[in-house]
Amino acid sequence: MWLWNKIKQLAISFRAGMVTLHYPFEPRPAPEGFRGQPVWDHTKCIGCAGCASHCPARTIFLRDICQELRILLYDSSRCTYCGRCADLCPEKAITMSDKFELATDNRQDITQSLELFMMTCQRCGRCYDLEIKNYIDRLSSLGYRYDSLEARKVIRRSTADFSPEELEKTVTYERPGRLEK
Amino acid sequence: MSRKEELVRWLEKELDGNFISAEATIPGRLFIDLKREALSAAATGLMNRGARYQVGVGYDARKSGQGFGLVHTFAFDKDSLLVALRTFAPEDDPEFDSLTPLIPGAGWSEREYQDLLGLRFRNHPNPRRLVLSDDWPEGIYPLRREVPHDLMPPAAEEVAFRLEEAPPGTSIVPLGPFHASLHEPAHFSVYVDGEDIKGCEYRGFMTHRGIEKLAQTELTYNDVPFVAERICGICGSVHSVNYAQAVEAAAGLRIPRRAEFIRMVALELERLHSHLLWLGVAGHLIGFDTVFMQAWRIREKIMWLAERLTGNRKTYGMVIIGGVRRDINQDRSEDIRAVLKEVEREMLALEKAILKDRTIHKRTRGVGYLSREEAVKWNLIGPVARARGVDMDARRDHPYAAYDEVQFEVPLADSGDVWGTLVVRVKEVYEAIKIINQCLDKLEKLPKNEPLSVDLEGPIPAGRQGLSLVEAPRGEAVHYVLTGEENRPERWRVRAPTYPNLQAVPSMLLNNKLADFPIIVGSIDPCISCTDRVLVVERRSGKARLLSGQELENLSRGKRSKK
Repeated sequence: MWLWNKIKQLAISFRAGMVTLHYPFEPRPAPEGFRGQPVWDHTKCIGCAGCASHCPARTIFLRDICQELRILLYDSSRCTYCGRCADLCPEKAITMSDKFELATDNRQDITQSLELFMMTCQRCGRCYDLEIKNYIDRLSSLGYRYDSLEARKVIRRSTADFSPEELEKTVTYERPGRLEK
Repeated sequence: MSRKEELVRWLEKELDGNFISAEATIPGRLFIDLKREALSAAATGLMNRGARYQVGVGYDARKSGQGFGLVHTFAFDKDSLLVALRTFAPEDDPEFDSLTPLIPGAGWSEREYQDLLGLRFRNHPNPRRLVLSDDWPEGIYPLRREVPHDLMPPAAEEVAFRLEEAPPGTSIVPLGPFHASLHEPAHFSVYVDGEDIKGCEYRGFMTHRGIEKLAQTELTYNDVPFVAERICGICGSVHSVNYAQAVEAAAGLRIPRRAEFIRMVALELERLHSHLLWLGVAGHLIGFDTVFMQAWRIREKIMWLAERLTGNRKTYGMVIIGGVRRDINQDRSEDIRAVLKEVEREMLALEKAILKDRTIHKRTRGVGYLSREEAVKWNLIGPVARARGVDMDARRDHPYAAYDEVQFEVPLADSGDVWGTLVVRVKEVYEAIKIINQCLDKLEKLPKNEPLSVDLEGPIPAGRQGLSLVEAPRGEAVHYVLTGEENRPERWRVRAPTYPNLQAVPSMLLNNKLADFPIIVGSIDPCISCTDRVLVVERRSGKARLLSGQELENLSRGKRSKK
């Protein structure tokens, strides 16, 4: 009896063979509908703060640093990947990607931040999203990336082709910390 | 006359002026308000009528001028009835009669509120600290309203938990807080005479995360399911469904039928993988690693299935108040059926190969024996109770979701030992597969375009009580919700199934061999994180500092060289 059981167990083990995956040497893609790291689409975001106020882990922050600029910061280090933000986004700007290999020693690697350009409501004085979705028009508005906020002036720069110098300027551009009126 | 009416009439008569009111919110629930002098008499009466004690809930009701509230809940399994007795004590004299001399299972609940709310219990046989850590200063009660959820008070100095003296003729073997046979931190101080265990003392609650406090101060109703799910690493959906049911009961919300069946599928999938996990762990604990490997291999299929269905292996994130988030459509339902068929086939093969194996019998038969009477006395629940012949299952006795519409059996064993829990769990695997298949049949017949969730019409009124049961893989889990203002619960109490079962472990260990300790503790499938869910995270000094790898190495080397 005892031996017969052991033979049965052997048979099960042999039939199963090796089931361990060769991960990470072979990728194991996540299935469809997987709730991985959320990704924000800045062109769709209207800065409504729905995600920030419904995040159970309170890991999405929204700050208005000036009248025209709203910063959305997503700090993935505490995220529980519940996908509530993606459910609630009225503009479907958030998608749960299939990224799950998020271990890092630098928190910045998994942090996302969005600079959202808001307009001022003429009635209440609070900010709301630009209704203009046209990029050229967006360039004319205050607070765009190449703007000089001190001068309140739009500096339009664009080249027909990709220019490393422009990229360099973009990357090293520092936004003024304080507005002077 | 139904049990409900009989109880109300009896309480009115018996308690006379001490009876305040009775309220029946939904079928199967009875909320009774009493004066505190009558608590002990009422509890005695309920127990004499065959009630089973569940849990005590203390809360801070000073905002409404009522002092401190204490709720004790009881279940009448034969009548599908849950009874909650609520009493209040004024702020300057928060003392209640202890129910522990009458019901040993109430001991922890009372000690918990002694720690967390500063309540006092007259005639408590063992009024020592239970939940708070040893260096938590006296006089700060974390669940009180004025204490912020992130309070980190300076640690009290020169304090230590006073473990009991070992009985004469025995010596102490400390097992834990970290021990190879325990998967989570818990401390057992085991008294042994040679190899025989003569007694044991438990000191746990080392992994508090302050979840209840967080829900009462920071989160909103719809945030809590996602946090509740993280109470447990195995039965997450149990807690989120349970919480949602309690809130829905309090708000009088009826969820779509489709959502009910989808919740059931999630719950039963969880039971499947939890029992397979337990089978593997039990095999590992008795040194039978073939079971461990094969059970976990089968389990992995269910984990991958859950990943495809819900978007994650473990934290399903399916439940919100009013319904569920994801649908199970035709494709997915076929996927589930295929996987379950495979799992059932493999499980049968594994069962045939191991259940007659002498190794298992020698290590589990007669080990951790507890009689049926003891099991009832300690209010044991779940497979641990069913292995002792106690015929109870919250799915059948207090049907929630749509469990009254599916057919299943409640497996029982009467051996009263670890072997019994093993047999019960293996049989429950097939029952769970049966239930899921029935749910899928029903889902396919339901209209496809039915909404998955319903919205609340307006805010939930404050001060309503909700009580909910879910049969988790380890036994019934109880959630009590008292609705509050500001869109969040005033009090949310979680009673995980390990909470009562763990209290009976010292009795199970008695007169067994020390070598059987791991499997006896393992037989209740202890889920320490579930049980330890309440408290504020503490650190010895208020400051956090990261040690570099080198520093850590120096520290450990220094320690070693001192020896």
